[in-house]
Amino acid sequence: MNMAMTKSVTFCGVVALIAMVTLSPAGAAPSDFDGVWLPDVKDQHRQEKENPPPWKAEILAQVEHQIAEEKAGRPFLVLSHCLPHGMPTWMLINHNAFEWLTTPGRVTMLGEVDGNRMRRIYTDGRPHPDDPDPTLHGHSIGHWEGDVLVVDTTAIVPQAYIASSEAVGIPNDGDMHIVERLYLAKPNVLNDELEITAPKVLTAPWKTTRIFRRYPERHYEIIEGECQQEDLVPAKDAYGNDIFVSHPQRPDGSVSTAK
Amino acid sequence: MVSPKIILVAASLLLGFGGVAAAHHSGAAYDTEHPRTMEGTVKTVNWTNPHITFVIEADAKDGAPAQTWVFEVSSPGVLTRSGWTKKSLQPGDHATFHYAPLRDGSSGGFLMRVTLPNGQELSFSLTPSDQ
Repeated sequence: MNMAMTKSVTFCGVVALIAMVTLSPAGAAPSDFDGVWLPDVKDQHRQEKENPPPWKAEILAQVEHQIAEEKAGRPFLVLSHCLPHGMPTWMLINHNAFEWLTTPGRVTMLGEVDGNRMRRIYTDGRPHPDDPDPTLHGHSIGHWEGDVLVVDTTAIVPQAYIASSEAVGIPNDGDMHIVERLYLAKPNVLNDELEITAPKVLTAPWKTTRIFRRYPERHYEIIEGECQQEDLVPAKDAYGNDIFVSHPQRPDGSVSTAK
Repeated sequence: MVSPKIILVAASLLLGFGGVAAAHHSGAAYDTEHPRTMEGTVKTVNWTNPHITFVIEADAKDGAPAQTWVFEVSSPGVLTRSGWTKKSLQPGDHATFHYAPLRDGSSGGFLMRVTLPNGQELSFSLTPSDQ
């Protein structure tokens, strides 16, 4: 082989190597996160036991009471109203899918089951407002560190729960701050590494990673569902128009067999 | 009528029950340790959120009047992703219902699996099995 050929072979080898590195799964573009994601519920249950929040002692007493009440058949209802889970509970205990949508300057997460689950994560470089109006999802700003979306959330209402399950949860009581690192652990596996700082109820920042999976070959869609729609049944009004009328379920949310 | 993608995961659903039951509430009201079976005819399908419910008329036995039962399952999203449609179980369908009964003994429960007259099984899971 002459010199020119050796050089070109070497050059091709280097190009191939660079191509392999840049085309590896680690080279994820923001739009690679788009799609419908389902939570890993088995891992949620595992973490209930293996990675509970570091509750303050007086808060732990409340948590243990909730656990006992659930065992006794009187579960506390963390979600007793039509408000969204909010942060961080949406990421922690939700059993339904969400859709990740990337648009210029923003990432939007759209939840299922309750149309009002939506997180807007601003990636346009804006800071948190000086005097925010607290909300259930808080104010989220994000920036990319390579393939990782780092999200900082503040201004969450004190009433937003830190929940371990639908029957065990404590309000954050204010001053909660959440930092997340969101990245593709595999092409269709999204990891959300949360660090939750809630000085009123936790002894230390709580770290937990939540896992979500995408099934592109199954073409899953988000199915519309409105909160407590089950408490309404189709009926007719006096004119024969189609309306919904109230048909409430049991207080603990389970099915009502009363007529 | 029924999607070929119905996934039979009754076992995994039973094992993973605690808190799995519902989008919005604990499954504490249901006795998952003692599942039961009953037969009846579908009267109403409430394909709604967060829990789809099926109102069933139990087969009348020994001259006693038929009882009305109500079963709940998961959300339309979860059932759709498990291969159900609104028509998978329709008013007038007779089937065998496998359920976790309400602890207070009233006629209802959390429905885990349905066996149709042709032998086909309908069930659902929060987690699609990886194929």
